[in-house]
Amino acid sequence: MQLCVDNVHKRFGSTVALAGVDLDVGADTHLLLAGANGAGKTTLLRLLAGLTGPSDGRVTIGGEDPRRSTQQRWRLGLLSHQTLLYDDLSAAENLRFFAGLYGLGADIVGPALADVDLTDQAAARVGGFSRGMKQRLALARATLHAPEVLLLDEPFTGLDRRSAGTLSTRLLMRTREAGVSSLLVTHNVVEAAQFVNRVVVLRGGRIVCDEPWNTDDGERLQALCDHHQELAVHE
Amino acid sequence: MNDVPGIWTHARLLLRKDLMTEWRTKERLSPMVFFVLLVLLVYNFAFELGGAALWEIGPGVLWSSFVFASLFGLQRTFAAESTNDCLDALLAAPVERGALYLAKMMGNVLFLVGVQLLTLPLFGLFFNLTPGLYLLPLLVVFLLGSASVASIGTLFAAMASHSRLREFLLPLLVLPVLIPALISCVAATGFILAAGIPGRAVQFWPEELTLHVGMLALFAVVFSTLAWMLFDFVIEE
Amino acid sequence: MTRILAVILSLAMLAAVGAVFLHAPTEVQMGDVQRIFYFHVSSALSAAACYFLVFLGSVLYLRTRKDRWDRFAGVSAELGVLFSAFVLFSGPLWARPIWGVFWRWEPRLTTMLITFALYVAYLMVRSYGDPGERTQRFAAVVGIVAFVNVPLVHYSINMWAADQQLHPPKVELDPAMQQTKLICYLAFGCLVTLLMRLRLNQERQAARLQALATTTHQ
Repeated sequence: MQLCVDNVHKRFGSTVALAGVDLDVGADTHLLLAGANGAGKTTLLRLLAGLTGPSDGRVTIGGEDPRRSTQQRWRLGLLSHQTLLYDDLSAAENLRFFAGLYGLGADIVGPALADVDLTDQAAARVGGFSRGMKQRLALARATLHAPEVLLLDEPFTGLDRRSAGTLSTRLLMRTREAGVSSLLVTHNVVEAAQFVNRVVVLRGGRIVCDEPWNTDDGERLQALCDHHQELAVHE
Repeated sequence: MNDVPGIWTHARLLLRKDLMTEWRTKERLSPMVFFVLLVLLVYNFAFELGGAALWEIGPGVLWSSFVFASLFGLQRTFAAESTNDCLDALLAAPVERGALYLAKMMGNVLFLVGVQLLTLPLFGLFFNLTPGLYLLPLLVVFLLGSASVASIGTLFAAMASHSRLREFLLPLLVLPVLIPALISCVAATGFILAAGIPGRAVQFWPEELTLHVGMLALFAVVFSTLAWMLFDFVIEE
Repeated sequence: MTRILAVILSLAMLAAVGAVFLHAPTEVQMGDVQRIFYFHVSSALSAAACYFLVFLGSVLYLRTRKDRWDRFAGVSAELGVLFSAFVLFSGPLWARPIWGVFWRWEPRLTTMLITFALYVAYLMVRSYGDPGERTQRFAAVVGIVAFVNVPLVHYSINMWAADQQLHPPKVELDPAMQQTKLICYLAFGCLVTLLMRLRLNQERQAARLQALATTTHQ
């Protein structure tokens, strides 16, 4: 399952978010997208999710434009800093709804809730959940259909240390499954080291670093990202 | 290959979700009904309602209140999807954009017809309308009129939720486009109400009605098809 | 090229004005006021042509996503609105002496008024949206919807105000009048072409400037 970004530019009015990005992501790749605010990380992720289109260049998943192909979008799971959940529905109703969108039966809801320890909250309105609970439910929603590609846009935002840890553990389990790829956008680079086996640093809409990564050493990873971002300060 | 549900299944699921939400929160239907009541009140002081006014300005009052209330309601079409960025979840899901349009459009039709049915007794009250079977064709006009409003309103609502102008843009776009449909709604309603004039021979389906109902059907079909085709271009970021 | 067009336009307009005031005979019933007709009708035709160009530009923009089609549609809409405004202005000027009122809700004028409103809304979408690709997309969608709506408006207004029809359905014109009308059409055609060219050039330069400004900021 190949994700391809081919000489992609993305402009919002006169702002250039991405200025010629090339990226190829295959199976079992867990990629960290690092960079300062405004570097283009979220934009790149959103292009891959089919939420928007490039101004120039091509974005393909499995060889097809994600905006046009429902088959390819079936393989994606999206987890964001926003919950992407309906506050007025219950946890079970949310999951049942999304399960239906993916062509799955309602029987998948129970196990999914159990997986994230929310079984006793099944009938509770999501609007009343804590941030940690919402993100756990969001993870359940994102992985209901066992996606091959997980797109994670700052999923740890607003979580306290414990909740972040719980989410981390569950994410790790999912991403270690065979054939799964993931793209993680996060400012919490130190925590990210355990998830990723490749690091891509964006600066000013361009990729300035694209290296494999095979240790859990968060401090070193942070240093690497800082190094590439600091070059911007000296330019 | 994965079992991706078809466009109608998705539309049905989305519509069901919206109706479930509305049942819980009642945040679209109630304000619209209340709005119609307020508009009627304003019209009462602007014109003399009741008596002979029914045949002259009744249809106009009826449909202008519906159109204003519908603008009110159309604003909320994508409100649930804006919260928590749920629209992203729908766009990233294997859902065809057209299914989202269908669901939202059908939802709008249901809400509009709901408002019309709930407020018709109010009109009857203020206009001293004699109840009778001759009013049944109104249901057809309500349905087709609502479909006309919803067909184009849903498309523009998707635009308005993304634009800087937001609330102001929707009426400015919807009203001029709706004028042909509005003309037929008012005319058709006029013919139906005229059938109830005391002393007149009751005609269940006045002949002139067919032309206007035809116009409404044409408008609804043309604009739903066009909006469905153009929806992709407005719903993405 | 623009200079040549300007020269041709000047000659055509001179010919048109000359034809309207000197060549065309005085109309029997309406007198000299009738001469507005030539400019009024030419404007209406120009507006209609411009609105079609908006539709064309909008469709081509959505297919190709090239900025030039967006500019083309925008400029066409401006000109369409301009000519419509002239029709709505010259109409009452003509109507007052002839029909006794400035305005009647009769089919042609009403249709022109609604179409005017439609395209003003289109221009608002363009100017009030955040500058960028999304506003261009939205404008293109509105441009298509507006044009599809025009025949419906025309048909239903005619149905609504059939009894109010003040424009004669078909006019038998004296050959001299016919010639004058054609000369005016030609002159207005040149006017539309030249104005479009000038505005498109302007927009193209503005876009280039904008692109330069963006590059230097990086």
